[in-house]
Amino acid sequence: MRRALFLVLLLAAQPAFADQLVSGVSQELIQITSNYTGSDIVVFGAVEGEPGRDMSLPKDVVVVVRGPETDITVRRRDRVAGIWINHDAAKLSGMPAYYFLASTRPLKEIAPPEALTHYNIGLQSLQPDSVHSHHDYEPFRQAALRHLTKDRLYTEVPGGVEFLSATLFRAHVPVPAGVARGQYKVEVYLFRDGDVESAQSTPLFIDQTGLERRLYNFAHNQPFGYGLAAVAMAVIMGWISSLLFRRST
Amino acid sequence: MEIYLPIAEMSVHWIVILGMGVGVGFLSGLFGVGGGFLLTPLLVFYGIPSGIAVATTLSHITASSISGAVAHWKRRSIDFKMAGVMMAGGLGGTAVGVWLFAIMRRAGQMDLVVSLTYVPMLGIIGGIMLNESLKTLRAWRSGHAPARIHPVNHVWIHGLPLKARFRQSRLYISVIPPLAIGFVVGAMSAVMGVGGGFIIVPAMIYLLRMPTNVVVGTSLVQIIGVAIVTTLLQATNNYAVDIVLAAILVTGGVVGAQFGVRAGARLRGEQIRLLLALLVLAVALKLLWDLLVTPADFYSIGGV
Repeated sequence: MRRALFLVLLLAAQPAFADQLVSGVSQELIQITSNYTGSDIVVFGAVEGEPGRDMSLPKDVVVVVRGPETDITVRRRDRVAGIWINHDAAKLSGMPAYYFLASTRPLKEIAPPEALTHYNIGLQSLQPDSVHSHHDYEPFRQAALRHLTKDRLYTEVPGGVEFLSATLFRAHVPVPAGVARGQYKVEVYLFRDGDVESAQSTPLFIDQTGLERRLYNFAHNQPFGYGLAAVAMAVIMGWISSLLFRRST
Repeated sequence: MEIYLPIAEMSVHWIVILGMGVGVGFLSGLFGVGGGFLLTPLLVFYGIPSGIAVATTLSHITASSISGAVAHWKRRSIDFKMAGVMMAGGLGGTAVGVWLFAIMRRAGQMDLVVSLTYVPMLGIIGGIMLNESLKTLRAWRSGHAPARIHPVNHVWIHGLPLKARFRQSRLYISVIPPLAIGFVVGAMSAVMGVGGGFIIVPAMIYLLRMPTNVVVGTSLVQIIGVAIVTTLLQATNNYAVDIVLAAILVTGGVVGAQFGVRAGARLRGEQIRLLLALLVLAVALKLLWDLLVTPADFYSIGGV
């Protein structure tokens, strides 16, 4: 929410002479079916320059895809009386369930760290909205970034945005099979001289469909009936198998 | 070869899951254990969220236990009265277990509680069984008559009131010990996603002194009852039962269980007990190892 507001302000505050950013997504709705194993979407766009401005001036594009916000609980093991137990924990609220960033160059070459933090761009600028912890939460946040990066839910690809011409750019965004359902946001930033000159945000929806959707609804709307169905399935399968095997031997 | 699980909200290789089902089903047919104490960690290791692994494993336990129980029923090696008494205790235990589950999960100490209770319990049970079966096998091999297993003489058990006759087990004992065993195992199945056969089987042999041939069938019937109730509770309270995952596990499990029962019929009681003892000790050592060895990463993540 904070970020959406911020984007609106950013767009409203654009200087009059700025280049305009136009972007789109190859697919605005991803439907997860039983054979979904992950897919790619393409974020593309163009930088439309002011008349008379030199289009070959250095510019950078950063594409960010954020998943729905979620709570992440990170626990730390400590040695107590010789055994390793979960001792301290930090609950990081409002972290994206998925984060993908592609840029034309490594982020640190595009803009100074203060600007990245200011615009909330890059894994290192990801901050929770609120934290439940008795300690400094920074090591817990670093651990969360490390784990989610390992699970390919958090990704940074320097060089992932390629310019096809002086104005056209494109980036491939992998959507792995384990992503959360919900509303995603595709943000495109145009950087020049270490600062954001233009930005655009497009929503992206990821949802289940077909049988998966119906099973999910069944489980949540009629949990007792769903439980009975699971039990009946197990009982019948167990019974049938014993009948089949008796015949065959 | 991937399939999407609607409740776990992730894709899995269904052949791997099917293989887990077959392997664990075989063991459950062979030993008369549900196999949950192996399947739950396997699923968690594969990446299934632990809550869903705990709840869904119970479907697999139900199916493979039924498949095994039918075979035992044909051999008339089930004491339904004993199973019923233990099940009654089990229902009470399940209710308490669901409550404990919520408390421990809130404190983030699920893993610790599981490990700290499993290690001594599995270690002691495995050790006793290993010792007994080795002694019997050695005596048998040297040509002597196998030494009768003499468990500790539980005078206090015979002093308890509410005695009942269990004809199939040829026992006349108080219903309190089987009720208590059922209660403990019911609580465990809710907390850990295990059927509890690896507790019930030794408890029946060493505490209740039931004949070995009715032990396996009877424990299967008791496990079925508890697993069904726990599945319903997990589905209604936690929405944690993934029916697609369950179907794959069950398909593998029932096939494996049939082979397990057949293999079990060819082995002698002592051999089965020796194998089960080794398996139980292996799980205990693995859990102990995880408690003592310095973890590669001090941080773990839950609830993404």
